[in-house]
Amino acid sequence: MLKVSREEILDGKFERVLNFFRSRSLWMLYYCTGCGAVELPPTMTSRFDMERFGIGPMATPRQADILLVTGYVSVKTLKRIVRSYEQMPEPKWVVGFGSCPVNGGIYWKSYATINQLDRYIPVDLSLNGCMPRPQAVIDGFVNLMEMIKKGEAVGYKKYRLNYEWYKRNQAEVLERTEPVLRPGIASVAKAQETKKKISIVEGVK
Amino acid sequence: MARKLRKLLAGVTVNERYGNRMELVTDGQRAVSTLVVLKSSGFEHLSNITCVDWIDENRMDVTYNLWSYTHRLHAVIKAQTHRDAPEVSTALDIWPQAQVYEREIHEMFGVEFTGNPDLSPLFLHNWRDIPPLRKDFDTEEYSRRAYGVVDGVEEAGV
Amino acid sequence: MSDFYEVTKIAETDKYATYDFFFGPNHPGMHGNFGYVCDVVGSTITRVRVNAGQLHRGFEKLMEQNLWFQNISLIPRICVPDPDPNEVAYCTAVERLMGIEIPIRAKFLRSLTLEMSRMTSLLMGMGALGAMMGLYSIMYRMMNERDRVLDFFEWLTGARIYHIYNLPGGVRRDLPEGFAAKLESLLDDMEYNLREWDSLLFENPVVHRRLKGIGKISADEAVNYGLVGPNLRATGFTADVRKDDPYAAYPFLDFHIITTEGGDALARAVQVRKEYEAAIQLIRKILEAMPGGEFKVYLGNPLKFTVPAGDTYARVESSKGEYGYYVVSNGGLKPYRISVRGPSLPAGLSLCHKHLPGMRIDDVAIWMASFSVCPPDFDR
Repeated sequence: MLKVSREEILDGKFERVLNFFRSRSLWMLYYCTGCGAVELPPTMTSRFDMERFGIGPMATPRQADILLVTGYVSVKTLKRIVRSYEQMPEPKWVVGFGSCPVNGGIYWKSYATINQLDRYIPVDLSLNGCMPRPQAVIDGFVNLMEMIKKGEAVGYKKYRLNYEWYKRNQAEVLERTEPVLRPGIASVAKAQETKKKISIVEGVK
Repeated sequence: MARKLRKLLAGVTVNERYGNRMELVTDGQRAVSTLVVLKSSGFEHLSNITCVDWIDENRMDVTYNLWSYTHRLHAVIKAQTHRDAPEVSTALDIWPQAQVYEREIHEMFGVEFTGNPDLSPLFLHNWRDIPPLRKDFDTEEYSRRAYGVVDGVEEAGV
Repeated sequence: MSDFYEVTKIAETDKYATYDFFFGPNHPGMHGNFGYVCDVVGSTITRVRVNAGQLHRGFEKLMEQNLWFQNISLIPRICVPDPDPNEVAYCTAVERLMGIEIPIRAKFLRSLTLEMSRMTSLLMGMGALGAMMGLYSIMYRMMNERDRVLDFFEWLTGARIYHIYNLPGGVRRDLPEGFAAKLESLLDDMEYNLREWDSLLFENPVVHRRLKGIGKISADEAVNYGLVGPNLRATGFTADVRKDDPYAAYPFLDFHIITTEGGDALARAVQVRKEYEAAIQLIRKILEAMPGGEFKVYLGNPLKFTVPAGDTYARVESSKGEYGYYVVSNGGLKPYRISVRGPSLPAGLSLCHKHLPGMRIDDVAIWMASFSVCPPDFDR
């Protein structure tokens, strides 16, 4: 369904040298999007020091490499994440933190949080847990560094190749024009009337 | 205290509960005058304004929780309105923080607060359905249709 | 465009002199995912609009879909730095509706976790205040201390941040062997370190100059706006839920309510530090006075657990103020309506319209940190 061609992955020797250096100095965008962000300060400060791997915080998306989506993503946050992701220059990677970007997590029934982040932004690595311990975060980052060195983390190329598919999914959530539950009926009184009619017809409740 | 309040407020039921709590039941038009009387009797602190949707009895209760620092008493005021066109006048002139609570209740339940200058949406983005905290809104169905559901993954052979 | 005087004159009269400034969600000076859209002239704010809702999860609707015991795993996630008051408030409300009393050892254990959670949250608050001014060494030290307390939480409850330790009827587990002795030695360490941090944070002239006069508020105005907790006590007003409306083990403990005079950001910082010291001493008293006995009341099958119809409002003092849960039940297996009152709602969403106009944009982050505005508890 998503196309990444073989030539894109196996590029050549120069790319391998570049990947070696890229993986050693990743800068992370410091945007705390959800409740998982409370485990980020312990990871960055002196006890589980993240900076010895070369990973440091960066305030602006224009100079960052990793977008760390910590926890659940509500609809308003999704709009900002998409904008920040598109502002980051390539190569860029997305790490999903916690079990909420994977399948909605503990808030999967909620009307305000999305269930699968992979449909709107390509996710390179997922860390599960609710929430992951700092040791698990560092383990995940080391895995990401290995993937970058081998050249396997190509989410940004997927985004470029399948741009229309991602944009269509984003527009479906962000620029909605019709109600989801009862299409065509947008007022409370009419919704109640219809519900009463349906329940009388079906004889339910 | 309850006796004093019963004398001051006509047409409002005052019940006493365990410990230091009491409950007042009134309706939508008289809610604000009740609040003014309570504030002048010593209930200075507004804890919470919320709304309860009794769909079977076809009414909505806009509930105010008040606390008095001087008397150490807690009061719950329930202002009952009709469910199809709920309307209460605003408590903005009594406590300025009420504006935020009323904006949220308007967005989540659809209650009109007359006199509130700014009732624009606060939490939701581009919301087209019925107010979400009402009892006839099915949140699981909404999540399924709008955002999709991820099925379980087989462990071997993925 | 060579003369600076000419340029500033043009900027004042030009129609683009006022611009929209997004002190926005993606900002290292912002606590959590929350934004203010400010109209700025030069570097002074004239009007503020609130951009909330990025952290909205629909908790109140989600809690109506789960059974009474299933909600306990959802509830700590409402307030991220300080999750224990949520659990205690919910359990207190349910127990009050059912009309049962929990055993005394469970009350003391609840107070112990509440005070430990208050310590971690105050540490993070002080660290955030230092980081907003650019003094990052304070943040690093406080986070390190906080991690040591989180190790104790992990020993007692099994998780670092979201403990899920309280349930209706008591607590989940008893204290392990050797817990009290090790906690006492940690408290000694923390009191020793406190002297070093006083010289880092409070004897620093930079801190005094930046915090003085920011967000000055008087006691009557604070009560009218609905401020609670350390923000209210820093104006000189004596109010503490642990004394006014007691719950858990606080009727049996002997402590004073601490206030500070002043009402501006410096008074609030001093108040936080005093409360931190008081929390350490209170934990010592709790460990000394811990009684024996049962730690849980068995309430039957959790899958068939019903609560009698009624409604109640339970309030708990968290590190930011009064945390309230208004629980309505109609006698069924699931709650009918739960409404959460987060302590930072008046300060973050309502007081900003009064205080921020007239302030410079460098001071907005400090204003937020001094009022301990934490967006998850009003976005829910």
